[in-house]
Amino acid sequence: MSKLTAPKAAPAGSTTARSGKKVFRKIEPYIWIAPSVILMAIFIVVPICKVFQMSMNQVTKTNQLKGFNNFENFIKVVKAPAFTLVLKNTLVWTIAVVVLSTVLGFMLALVLNNKFRGRKIARAIVVFPWATTLVIQASAWGFIINKDYGTLNTLLMKIGLISQPVNWTPTPEAYFAWEIACGIFVTIPFVTFCVLSGLQSIDTSYYEAATVDGANYWQKLFKITLPLVKSSLTVSTVLNIIYVFNSFPIIWTMTKGDPANRTDTLVTYLYKLAFYNGRSGEAAAVSVIGFLILLVCASVYMIYTLRKGDGDL
Amino acid sequence: MSENTVKKPVSVKKVILRVLLYFVVLDVCVITLYPYFAMLCTALKNRVEIFSGNTILPVTALWSNFIEIWSRAPMARYLLNSVLIAGGSTLIAMLCGIPAAYALARMKFKGQTAFLGFVIVSQMFAPVVLLIGIYQVMQALGLTDSILGLVFINAAFNQAFTIWLLRGTFIGISAEMEQAATIDGCNRVQAMMKVLLPVAAPGIVTTLIFIFINAWNEYTVALCLISTDALKPITVGINTFNGYNMIEWQYLFAASIFAIIPVVILFMCIEKNLVSGLASGGVKG
Repeated sequence: MSKLTAPKAAPAGSTTARSGKKVFRKIEPYIWIAPSVILMAIFIVVPICKVFQMSMNQVTKTNQLKGFNNFENFIKVVKAPAFTLVLKNTLVWTIAVVVLSTVLGFMLALVLNNKFRGRKIARAIVVFPWATTLVIQASAWGFIINKDYGTLNTLLMKIGLISQPVNWTPTPEAYFAWEIACGIFVTIPFVTFCVLSGLQSIDTSYYEAATVDGANYWQKLFKITLPLVKSSLTVSTVLNIIYVFNSFPIIWTMTKGDPANRTDTLVTYLYKLAFYNGRSGEAAAVSVIGFLILLVCASVYMIYTLRKGDGDL
Repeated sequence: MSENTVKKPVSVKKVILRVLLYFVVLDVCVITLYPYFAMLCTALKNRVEIFSGNTILPVTALWSNFIEIWSRAPMARYLLNSVLIAGGSTLIAMLCGIPAAYALARMKFKGQTAFLGFVIVSQMFAPVVLLIGIYQVMQALGLTDSILGLVFINAAFNQAFTIWLLRGTFIGISAEMEQAATIDGCNRVQAMMKVLLPVAAPGIVTTLIFIFINAWNEYTVALCLISTDALKPITVGINTFNGYNMIEWQYLFAASIFAIIPVVILFMCIEKNLVSGLASGGVKG
């Protein structure tokens, strides 16, 4: 291609123009990616560096750095009595939401992959929670489960399933469980649609052949369907781990992590440290601990996708 | 005769499965729509009725709640801010993302894999975790408490998706037409604008709407950076009805419905394309 275009661009065949063009060809890709790189450098990379720097430094209330302090922020964070609880909550929250929404989302995708009347409408409805902002979703659920006037109690009483209002959130743990339920509710659509896209690309002749060979439903599910949607499931699972781990609005809207950190996860905990208690150094240390945990997941994801992508790079 | 006896149990089983299928689908739809139903009903009640907790449907539908919110809070301002933030973020994300995705799809250069790797890893850093750092950068740039600041943040944190989806789209389109255009005397920019982008339009629109929705729904950064009431987007603004002493549920949900509707409609338009884009972007690399 370059052979064809070169004569047009440099008709005299002058060597300087040609080498100039060569240099330009070399740097051209970098010009194309420059805006994106600059944007991400200023608003993602610099904040990352700032957070790391602050986690290592003594930070005053006015966010001034007072020099390296021997990982004191980390020591303070880890020694704080609430930290173990917060870490445990974060793990419970992430694992429960990701695992349950992946299983339920997968099952829902299998159901929606059938041909039935109203399938389009059903798919459109299932997308709702994905499109709705989490704050609104969370406040709606907060209202529904309210023990004094929530509509869940009203509904169940009208149907006759309960005779008295039930207190759905007697303990902080119960509240946390509702938050997890809300998290699952909003995460399912993403899994469902990732799996659906995988399911739709499966050639039906596989199933026909398996049917001829006398395979039953479960054999087909485990021997054909699962292996073929594995890559879709991996992508959705890894992305979900990252999103759910970093998810802030649901917990913030429903309980703000209270009472006494019982429903806090790392992100709500660090938000309070930084913006309520003015302990930015420690908040930065919590951020870094969060990165390190996620880094493991992200590197698995990156190795997986880059290895897959090598084929058509 | 023998055929009939074989066929019958199969068809009974089929009917049962069909019924079961509809039952499951119906359940899922009812549960999914329930919060929206509860929101709408609550938005139409008066306060006494809500706190009595005795009714599901409003006794008399108070449509005036939907009008009253516009005077009780600067709703028009909030919605306008959301449009500005989401629109601006989308514009910047696309202006930066299209060339980058084009370079990744059509050129070979040193550091390509590293750049792609960074794009993937950047998804790991949610704005929440970086808020302290973001806040300082914004202070240095004088962009705290400004819509422009939110525009840049949303654009930057959506770069990964933009590049990812667009690169997948571009790779899926053969480069031959652009090469032909180059031979006809177009330069690269012209070839991209005139040949590639029109063909890639469905993918571009999907990406565009997706970023718009993400920026529209963003809550955490706006909550932290914006303190002036007149600059709040709708997601933060609806908290006006969520006071310390008393939550005005009817107004909160009436306002929420205004915040949800545009996004749900947009989402339904792209649902099909988005999912195939996400999957192919992820799987194809």
